[in-house]
Amino acid sequence: MEKRTVLVAMSGGVDSSVAAALLVEQGHRVIGATMKTFCYSETDGRSQTCCGLEGIMDARRVADRVGVPHYVFDVEKDFTRDVIDDFVAEYANGRTPNPCVRCNGNTKFRDLLKRGAMLGCDAIATGHYARMGRNEQGEPLLMRGVDHDKDQAYFLWSLPAELLPQLMFPLGELTKPEVRERARALGLATADKPESQEICFVPTGNYVDVLEKRLTAEHPALAPGKLVTASGDVVGEHAGYARYTVGQRKGLGGGHGQRLYVLGARPSRREVVVGTREELHRADIEIGEINWLGAPPAAGDLVQIQIRHRAAPADATVVRLDSDRLDLTFHRPQRAVAPGQSAVIFRDQVVLGGGRIGNRE
Amino acid sequence: MEPIYLDYAATTPVRREVREAMARIDADRFGNPSSVHRWGREGRAALEDARARLAKLLGASPVEIIFTRGGTEADNLAILGRARASRHQSVVCSAIEHRAVLASARAAEAEGHPLHILPVDDDGVVEVAALDAFLDPKPAVVSVMWVNNEVGTVQPVPELADRCRAAGVVFHTDAIQAFGKFPVRVDEVPVDLLSISAHKIGGPKGVGALFVRRGVELSPLIYGGSHEHGMRAGTEDVAGAVGFALAAELWLRDQADQTRRLGELRDRLEAGLLARIPDLVVNGAGATRASNILSISLPGVNSETLLVTLDLEGLAVSSGSACSSGAVTPSHVLTEMGIPDEVAGPSVRLSLGRETTTEEIDRVLNTLPPLVERMRALASIEAD
Repeated sequence: MEKRTVLVAMSGGVDSSVAAALLVEQGHRVIGATMKTFCYSETDGRSQTCCGLEGIMDARRVADRVGVPHYVFDVEKDFTRDVIDDFVAEYANGRTPNPCVRCNGNTKFRDLLKRGAMLGCDAIATGHYARMGRNEQGEPLLMRGVDHDKDQAYFLWSLPAELLPQLMFPLGELTKPEVRERARALGLATADKPESQEICFVPTGNYVDVLEKRLTAEHPALAPGKLVTASGDVVGEHAGYARYTVGQRKGLGGGHGQRLYVLGARPSRREVVVGTREELHRADIEIGEINWLGAPPAAGDLVQIQIRHRAAPADATVVRLDSDRLDLTFHRPQRAVAPGQSAVIFRDQVVLGGGRIGNRE
Repeated sequence: MEPIYLDYAATTPVRREVREAMARIDADRFGNPSSVHRWGREGRAALEDARARLAKLLGASPVEIIFTRGGTEADNLAILGRARASRHQSVVCSAIEHRAVLASARAAEAEGHPLHILPVDDDGVVEVAALDAFLDPKPAVVSVMWVNNEVGTVQPVPELADRCRAAGVVFHTDAIQAFGKFPVRVDEVPVDLLSISAHKIGGPKGVGALFVRRGVELSPLIYGGSHEHGMRAGTEDVAGAVGFALAAELWLRDQADQTRRLGELRDRLEAGLLARIPDLVVNGAGATRASNILSISLPGVNSETLLVTLDLEGLAVSSGSACSSGAVTPSHVLTEMGIPDEVAGPSVRLSLGRETTTEEIDRVLNTLPPLVERMRALASIEAD
């Protein structure tokens, strides 16, 4: 195999730890880096031990164990602006953001690429469960990892296409249990570390805490409003539309006669639209702001669309294609298609591109 | 390239004699100095012998030496200990203090002690006259470091101490970078409080001392016993104290020769880099500097990857003050010297030590200039 100088992003979790170790095993020259993204402020008197700092410490131990230099890259300012502020703004607009996608596309990989270039690296690696392949022309393709339970290609659609030749995903051929096995065999301190929470800057696990901290209490997104049906009937009150996500059933109160689900929000009227289980399913989807990583499909083509992390990609037929917009029809209606969420377009295992689900109304 | 360590201002290797002396204490004289029995007495004797030897080197009496868990704790004790022993009196310190002093002063401020900051000139030297404005009403403490840890500038500590003494104000100096570089004696300079640290002079980490002139009132920060004259509770680190005293004795034995030798090497490095690297800035160039420290700025180089690149190339130096997470933060010292961010950002401190050789300096002179050229080329591509 071609030996490369690889900058590997190490979060301190088991996945990126093993990714770094595998690269070393393969004989590459490896440099480890942890991105300092947020929250462990060392300046404001009271300090708080937090996820991020622990991650840095774990990453250091692993880097030392596998014998690679390790550095911390401070991206807190960019991360706050490009990811956290966007996250809050999207909820305020009644949409459901994917901060990890936003970070991968705008912050993490761009920063790694830039610093990697400065440090003389010719490849960037992470511990994502995804694979790099090649088409007949030998051009790089982003593909799903073999562990479909863990596959993280969903989070990678937003990467700049010109980055593909430099990407390495050492875990793509492994399953999670195999990764843990490797970590134990290597004696890595992170071998039995629990799975990280989904969103690194939501330490409590409840995103509303972040909104409450960053929006004023009077912000319309957090203020009470009406629960309405699709036809406009008022069926109750809600506590602020940003507190609800599409498909949610909890927190809608009882006495509606039937089970209700959140279908969406109308921020301008402070309304949360609710409906039945049947109404929650959609056969059509519009994907906007598309970033293509492979050859775009044509009208009539069969592709697979993944509308949330860990959901299986579902068959869909392309109805219409603009440069950065795609209309499709699912072969079977899909549940809880949330505006703002990422939708990733696959042709079998290959990521063709991805975008964000458009507003239905 | 064979790695070169030029970060002796960060820390130094522990000398063999010191390691051996400490190991002997830990093995044979492990008794708790507070214990009444033979083992305790032996531990106490070793501790007090170390205290007396260190005091002698400073021109102090043993009762004026308090051992601490490092220089940072000594600084904290000086600032917060003085503030808390006073009634809402102010704290005065320079703008370029180490964070051990600055953060302590801010903590004192949060407890109700007004904080006044003494500015520095473009060369990183405190303006003595600026002190007068803050001496009435009397501050709890005035604190100015003797040698700045980032740029090496020597502060006018004797003059400042004189003024404080004349005004009846307690004066503290953080002498952590000064001790061992030139004579630091409390019988010659009227300082009231003085912090030193063992690991900067070939001693162990986590051992420091605060000189407290007789009669200066101080509140302890750590409670739990009458150790260290009630100023620092906790079972004493006898081996650490012994290691500190021995390291200081060994260090001061040839201090003048080392200072001269390192000064020549530093000057050779400085002149060579100035000749070979265009637009290089020597920070604090107009001031008297400690002979072992050289702070340079490399405008046009990406500051975020500068230290990493140097490390990958085998050159161990430092920049600004690294925080616990290791992220690079801009140096408040350079900023206070009026250096713009684009110059202050890509700056590094090279600090020489006892183990530094002429051959190492010449290798730096050969490898650093092309490396800077490469980093500048990369940074300019990235900026396009």
